Amino acid sequence: MIKIPARVLLVDDEKDFVEMLSLRLLESGEKVSAAYSGKECLDRLENTSIDVVVLDIKMPGMDGIETLREIKKRFPLVEVILLTGHGSTETAVEGMKLGAFDYLMKPADFDDLTAKLEGARKRKDEQEERIRKAEATLLVRKSGGSF
Amino acid sequence: MENICVILVDDEDDFRQTVAKRLIKRGIHTKQAASGEACLDLLKKETVDVVVLDVKMPGMDGIETLHHIKKGHPHTEVIMLTGHATTQDGVDGIKSGAFDYLSKPIELEHLLGKIRQAHEKLVREEEKRREAAFRAKMEQQMIATERLASLGTLAAGVAHEINNPLAIIKESAGWMASILSKTELADIPRRRDLELALGKIEKGVERARRITHQLLGSVKQSDSLFSEVDMGQLASETVDLVRKEASNKDIDIFREMDPAVRPIWTDPYKVRQVLINLLTNAVYATDRGGAITVTIQPADGGTAVAVRDTGQGIPKENLTRIFEPFFSTKPPGEGTGLGLFVTRSIIEKLGGHIHVESELGNGTTFRFILPGRPVMSDMPDPDEHTQVLKKVFQKN
Repeated sequence: MIKIPARVLLVDDEKDFVEMLSLRLLESGEKVSAAYSGKECLDRLENTSIDVVVLDIKMPGMDGIETLREIKKRFPLVEVILLTGHGSTETAVEGMKLGAFDYLMKPADFDDLTAKLEGARKRKDEQEERIRKAEATLLVRKSGGSF
Repeated sequence: MENICVILVDDEDDFRQTVAKRLIKRGIHTKQAASGEACLDLLKKETVDVVVLDVKMPGMDGIETLHHIKKGHPHTEVIMLTGHATTQDGVDGIKSGAFDYLSKPIELEHLLGKIRQAHEKLVREEEKRREAAFRAKMEQQMIATERLASLGTLAAGVAHEINNPLAIIKESAGWMASILSKTELADIPRRRDLELALGKIEKGVERARRITHQLLGSVKQSDSLFSEVDMGQLASETVDLVRKEASNKDIDIFREMDPAVRPIWTDPYKVRQVLINLLTNAVYATDRGGAITVTIQPADGGTAVAVRDTGQGIPKENLTRIFEPFFSTKPPGEGTGLGLFVTRSIIEKLGGHIHVESELGNGTTFRFILPGRPVMSDMPDPDEHTQVLKKVFQKN
């Protein structure tokens, strides 16, 4: 199986954590960018194509859930995986109801994370494929006949 | 029948003996004294509820005797017997602390009535003292509980904070491991040493993670969270928590699990709390080199757990009292006296029951049974603690 790299955006106010996790993900072949706040995350999404956002729930300023809402509003196809400390698992489930793909508890198991990243990337990929097909069908209809 | 103890004090032997006989016939335990000094001597040996005291006696008179009684035995009521037409003595008596007085010749019914009244007063005062002590303990307990609660919150906060650096350590070590596995590093010297160290780091992080998760898990107490619980595993985890303390006293802990035990639906946090209470009690009660055995068996569609220790045992008279709030055989300051009270209330709320078997010198076994499925009521009933507190403070 060829591994398809995912374009991942890591969002957490803990800089050291973001740095090390980025390096590790890069090592396993993902394309990684980083942001250290909800606002920075949204700015990045404006300028870069991202497949999956890995988002910490507890952040100062705009917290994880607020950021998640904005992402789903402005970039609905981008998948989100939430990272939670032990006390906020209920919030994580709430987040899933708001559209997050899944969640992990810190400190997260790397294999679990890569598995979920792959799942999220696939889901986005499949949705984009469906959109392409739908657009193609639309085009055919518009031009009044089959090709 | 009330258990009233009286000393009848009068130098007139005939009078005294007649009255005493009639009081005894009416169910009052009556002792006699022929003088003030004799009365005080009697009181030194045992306390009584009421002293019926003649005012005019040779030697130490009634009022003097009254003073001594009130000084040495403040919880004994005194009824003065005055001579005919000497009400001043009676009034003086009351001013000096007597409950009341009767003028001779006395009618037995009047005397009985006064004795009973005096006794009632004593009972009421005793009750008031006990309530005040209970309330004081309650307040102390509330303070202790609040302190525990804030410690719990503090501990949870710390655990939470620690998770972040743990995550960083984990990622850093993991990254190093993945670099090591790359082909360009295949032949580096001392590869084994690096791999060994990385392995230890990962193990250490995993252990720390388990601790913080357990700590955070045990702090969350607000609602009952029912789930499927494997009692064997819960027991093992809890035994691990207590093992360090036990090994300090060279106490072995054994776990015997019947293979027929099935998981039950219950609240794992609360059951863990119960197990911790029973295990720490067992460790406290057991001497060096003793043993504690935890047995888990199926029972009535649910699961029965027994914690047996080889400790000192519980005396028969305490066996019914150990589940009472604030009952404790530990020295003051150690323990809250609430452990077993809370334990029993948890077990009963979860639909089960708990009992104890013990023999002095032969150890103690606590056994609780939990149903396979909880029996839940529609109304969420308020916390038992809150109910007791409400009762106590409503009295004011």
